[in-house]
Amino acid sequence: MNWSDIGTILPVVIAVLVAAAVLIVDMAAPGRREPIVVTALAGLGLAAVSIAVQAGHTGSAFGGAYSLDNLTVFLDMLFVAIAALTIMFAGDYLELRGLPIAEFAAVLIFAVTGAMLVAGSTDLLLLFVALELMVLPGYMLAGFARHDPYSTEGAIKYFLLGSFSSAILLFGLAYVWGITGTTRVDGVAAALTTAIAHGSIQPGLAMGLAFMSTGVAFKMAAVPFHYWTPDAYQGSPTPVTAYLSVGPKVGAFAIALRLFVGALGPLKADWLPIVIVLAAATMTLGNLVAITQDNVKRMLAYSSIAHTGYILVGLAAYAGGQASGLSAILFYGAAYTFMNMGAFAVVTALQRRPGVSSQIATFAGLGRRDPWLGALMALFLLSLTGIPPLAGFWAKAYVILAAVQAGGWLSALAVLAMINAAAAAFYYLRVVVYMYMREPTEETAPSSAGLLFRAGLAVTGAATLIFGLFPALVTAATNAANVFHG
Amino acid sequence: MNLPILSLITFTPLVGAIVVATLPSRRPDLIRRTTLAFALLAWVMSLVLLAAYAFGPAGFRFNEAIDWIPAFGIQYKVGVDGLSVLMVVLTTTLTWISVLASFGPIKDRVKGYMISFLVLEVGMIGVFVALDLFLFYIFWEIVLVPMYLIIGIWGGANRVYATMKFVLYTLVGSLLMLVAILATAFAYQVGHGGSWAGAFDYGQLQGFAATGGFGDNFQILAFLALFLAFAIKVPMFPFHTWLPDAHTEAPTAGSVILAGVLLKLGAYGLIRFAVPLYPHAAHTFAWPIIVLSVIAIVYGAIVSIVQPDLKRLVAYSSVSHMGFVTLGIFVFSATALQGAILQMINHGLITGGLFLLVGVIYERTHDRTIARMGGLAATMPIWSTVFGFFILASAGLPGLSGFVGEFLVFVGSFGIAPGIAVASIIVMVLAATYLLWMFQRVAFGTLSDFLGGLGGHLTDMNRTELATLLPLAILIVVLGLFPSVVLDLLRAPAQVFLAAAGVAVGG
Repeated sequence: MNWSDIGTILPVVIAVLVAAAVLIVDMAAPGRREPIVVTALAGLGLAAVSIAVQAGHTGSAFGGAYSLDNLTVFLDMLFVAIAALTIMFAGDYLELRGLPIAEFAAVLIFAVTGAMLVAGSTDLLLLFVALELMVLPGYMLAGFARHDPYSTEGAIKYFLLGSFSSAILLFGLAYVWGITGTTRVDGVAAALTTAIAHGSIQPGLAMGLAFMSTGVAFKMAAVPFHYWTPDAYQGSPTPVTAYLSVGPKVGAFAIALRLFVGALGPLKADWLPIVIVLAAATMTLGNLVAITQDNVKRMLAYSSIAHTGYILVGLAAYAGGQASGLSAILFYGAAYTFMNMGAFAVVTALQRRPGVSSQIATFAGLGRRDPWLGALMALFLLSLTGIPPLAGFWAKAYVILAAVQAGGWLSALAVLAMINAAAAAFYYLRVVVYMYMREPTEETAPSSAGLLFRAGLAVTGAATLIFGLFPALVTAATNAANVFHG
Repeated sequence: MNLPILSLITFTPLVGAIVVATLPSRRPDLIRRTTLAFALLAWVMSLVLLAAYAFGPAGFRFNEAIDWIPAFGIQYKVGVDGLSVLMVVLTTTLTWISVLASFGPIKDRVKGYMISFLVLEVGMIGVFVALDLFLFYIFWEIVLVPMYLIIGIWGGANRVYATMKFVLYTLVGSLLMLVAILATAFAYQVGHGGSWAGAFDYGQLQGFAATGGFGDNFQILAFLALFLAFAIKVPMFPFHTWLPDAHTEAPTAGSVILAGVLLKLGAYGLIRFAVPLYPHAAHTFAWPIIVLSVIAIVYGAIVSIVQPDLKRLVAYSSVSHMGFVTLGIFVFSATALQGAILQMINHGLITGGLFLLVGVIYERTHDRTIARMGGLAATMPIWSTVFGFFILASAGLPGLSGFVGEFLVFVGSFGIAPGIAVASIIVMVLAATYLLWMFQRVAFGTLSDFLGGLGGHLTDMNRTELATLLPLAILIVVLGLFPSVVLDLLRAPAQVFLAAAGVAVGG
């Protein structure tokens, strides 16, 4: 190790220091919210600056275990944004429920640190360690409302299935190491290419591929490995759900990019069928079950499963020979992050007072009670549906375009994705129906939120709109971040 | 010409929507008048456009093109030919009439309603002027959201069911259309050495199609996807089941726009995109589509006879009338196509008027059941006279515009499919049956007990209501007597359409 290694992973270092600083500030001024939020946001801002400085640079650290490239930069930026938005949305909610904000912010930033390490991992071992660093704080966050039995239940389910899947993934990684003799991503890819050229792919590799697919599918909540998602999402405090629905999911796709595309790229013809089946099952089942939900958090949980399916279409398009599928994944990840966090933020705002449920009836008459909140929710829901000219539309359009370009079975997958998108309109618009076409049932809840909260909503709303009107701004970044070539 | 008149027309309502959004909700009258002012402004500009276009050469004019997403060759490209100009004018005319017709009936959440209407107008005009397939798709989807809100918030008792059905039907079609559009652009890109330039440009794509650029199997799949989207919108039998619900539940002005413009979007899509881009597939499927059209014509008329609800009757009659449009498109004859387009305009004027007239009655009685009406001729003479006029226009009385459109379709299709032409013309008798029988039950006889119980509430049409109907009535007479005003503009587009569609016939 030398000092230039530290420079390469500077954003990660800053993030760790911010998490530590948050805890120290809390010790210095216990129970006060402002200093913690200011420290966390300022620190994340600093991390963002350090990431921005790295844009366009490439490098590697720790003997090639960690790589800095535009993909790392893009994903790091997204993770920092996720962390900052989560903190902005969580403040009011936690305080009113007597939950400590300092621990929340620190644990969250540790989790995001793990995600940032995943983004740059080019070594299977580091990838696994980073993954665990990302998900372990996630379990804590899921159970953060520890007096709430649902929160605990969700956290336990998340923890048990999460650990299980990590073990399976590790088992798969062990196979790869055993067969290729290296843990470096490029080394694995080179060894596999050579092996394929000699026509000597061992059966053990198929086992490893199966285990790794299972592990990653668990993490991204792809059907049939999604069972933990609805309970974990519904039970968690709503701001945590907002984080869980985007952070670990984008993280899981970062693993997919580094592991399946980077290391196992030479085997893509072998894992293509797996991804096609996963994508088809994930979006179809996620949508069908989401239609039947009466709880908005649970509905959004299933909808996030469906979106995993759409993103997998992009991965399948890559495996089918269209490198642009990966840019589409990144665009989807960014668009989904902002629109989905925005939707969860509105749920959070409605639940400001403890005891307010996330049942769909809570939304009745929201368009009249709070026109701005209602309009924003409608914006996020329309974007999630994929109505132009909003971010979610371009996300779908790019994924579909890549799939259509790949042709063959992927065209059929594209058609299936669009039929699914039409079905999804039903449950997204059902919320709009409640907001605008039903009278308020209970007392009109005062949902006036704090300044920071409103700033967060403004950011997510503006991103949903701007990504939609000027998608070229984002595609410039996603194309640069697509460091893999078909 | 440097003035971007098409963009001005398209986005004037958007500016209006933004202005209205800043007005205080407590002043509904100000909001209503501002909306009307912007709708009238767009209308006046569209008349200027019509005049400017009519006194110039044919083809696409007033073009504007700006790169939007250069990586994929997606442009903001607009332009109009004779067909689009007429559709734009139809849209702007019906929009201001609808806005004016909403002054009385819409009392709740006026601001949201007027904003929805203006955004709706942006989408509708955009669809008719877009010359980039991607842009077209975006405008197409923009139309959906305001109409969803207009039916769902300001509609009748069963509005949520109706609006969800409307949205889901439309989305299934339009999302498959998106796949087809992307696939088409990709096929173009592959055919041009991997360059995306012009891949979504209508002119380029049509040129590519004319040289047989799209393979036969590809055409079949892409055409089916586009056809489904457009057929749902028209709506063609058997994709029409959303229409009676949406029409019945929508507020009066919503029904006017739905029937007057939204259904035309589907027919326009068939004429502009589905047939010229995939001529081989269009010919392959022409006969099944002609048969479906005739089924729609006959079925819509028969079902109309038994409808107990005034609005539902008018809605089903739309299915029948739009069947003439699709028939006129797919027999591939210049006369029939001109008739079909004229029929699109007529249907917008006549059915729009009928919905307005039913709305007048509904305002006073809060009922639309035919069986509870009767004897209105004595109590509401002006209304009954105007209603009778529109009924006769809808039934195809010679001298009024409805006759000319259906007659041209009949003449145009007779040479190609005499049996079908005769079958569809017999339906005009059915149309006279259900329309005149309904008129008789509503207007003649003694005043029904239900209406008598309303007493003084049953006033005749007021001046605002008359102002919404008179322009339509005048246009119906003018187009009935001088159809060449419109047909001249359509001659060139019809030739272009046939040339594009004819390529595959010759091989």
